[in-house]
Amino acid sequence: MRKKPEVVVLACQQALPETGPLVEALEGAGLRARAVPEPCSSKIEAFHLLRLLAVEADCVWVVACPPELCLFREGSSRLGKRLEHAREYLTEIGLEPQRLNLTRLSPGEPVDHTRLATDMADTARTLGLNPGCRGRGLKKEQPQ
Amino acid sequence: MIVGTRKPLAEIQRMVRGARRLLLAGCDTCVAECAAGGRKEVGELAAALMMAFRLAGEEVEIRETSVDRQCIHEFLLEVVEAAAGAEAVISLACGAGVQALAARLPETPVFPALNTQFIGETAERGLWLENCRGCGDCLLGLTGGICPISRCAKSLLNGPCGGAAGGLCEINKAKKFDPEVPCAWLQIYDRLSALGQLERLLELAPPKDWSQGEAGGPRRVLRPDQRP
Repeated sequence: MRKKPEVVVLACQQALPETGPLVEALEGAGLRARAVPEPCSSKIEAFHLLRLLAVEADCVWVVACPPELCLFREGSSRLGKRLEHAREYLTEIGLEPQRLNLTRLSPGEPVDHTRLATDMADTARTLGLNPGCRGRGLKKEQPQ
Repeated sequence: MIVGTRKPLAEIQRMVRGARRLLLAGCDTCVAECAAGGRKEVGELAAALMMAFRLAGEEVEIRETSVDRQCIHEFLLEVVEAAAGAEAVISLACGAGVQALAARLPETPVFPALNTQFIGETAERGLWLENCRGCGDCLLGLTGGICPISRCAKSLLNGPCGGAAGGLCEINKAKKFDPEVPCAWLQIYDRLSALGQLERLLELAPPKDWSQGEAGGPRRVLRPDQRP
């Protein structure tokens, strides 16, 4: 059974072209971390988010562009709505909707990986292990 | 197309209680268009159920499949194959699809994940409207292609009632709709006016034969030329 919370980051390549420093910062903060580069956040579906929580992650974090700067015009804003739809599922299940998160970064601007990692790590630690995830072997209680 | 909406997760869980191996079967036509029962929604529901069962302390094996049409038996062969070993099947099709699948799986319980709502159209992205009741006696030729049976709250056959105001149906006063429900008969008038066919409104529609619709018991269409 894992003790460290795992964060999976789905990163729009325009918003976050380099994911390595973020993963390192998350691991440095004592978490397990994995980043999946996406051509655009519009490619992320609600079932991707829910599956990640069901089989792997304690927390899933999407990094997307601000809606008005999305390469595919409406992709980022629609992603935001799909994320809300997936969060509604979590509420229905009895899991914290904050296990799915979204940060918007403007493409081309410098990224403060440390600050981003701190936000993610704080949220993941606060929420603890995901009792709905495979292999957690938990019911309600979550170790910090 | 047939429009459906997902049942609450807790209701689905209750239906399949005790089953340890589930198959979720989607339908990639009507209910995929209304974002309720296509393969994406199968994926969402499968993941959500996995988590919900784990929170309840149960580990359930969930497999996924999806076919173009669950209401046509030939398409169901894949689902029947995928259902081997499943203790229960959850169908994300409309009621017709669920029943067709159940007929193909005599030894496996099949449960609906959706509430089938109506025959409708995609009016806008994310908005589906009922516009056909399947009444068996179509009047659209008289009404400019706008159905008063499904789109008038009172299913009136000869013009609007006295409750319409500002182009809107009075049902908006009884219930919150977003967007508000227009008066179907005003829409019919506007449409016929635009077509230059207002004289059609002078034809009185006779009393409707409701026995052609659901009031007449289970309906069937039999085409001898199509029979084996």
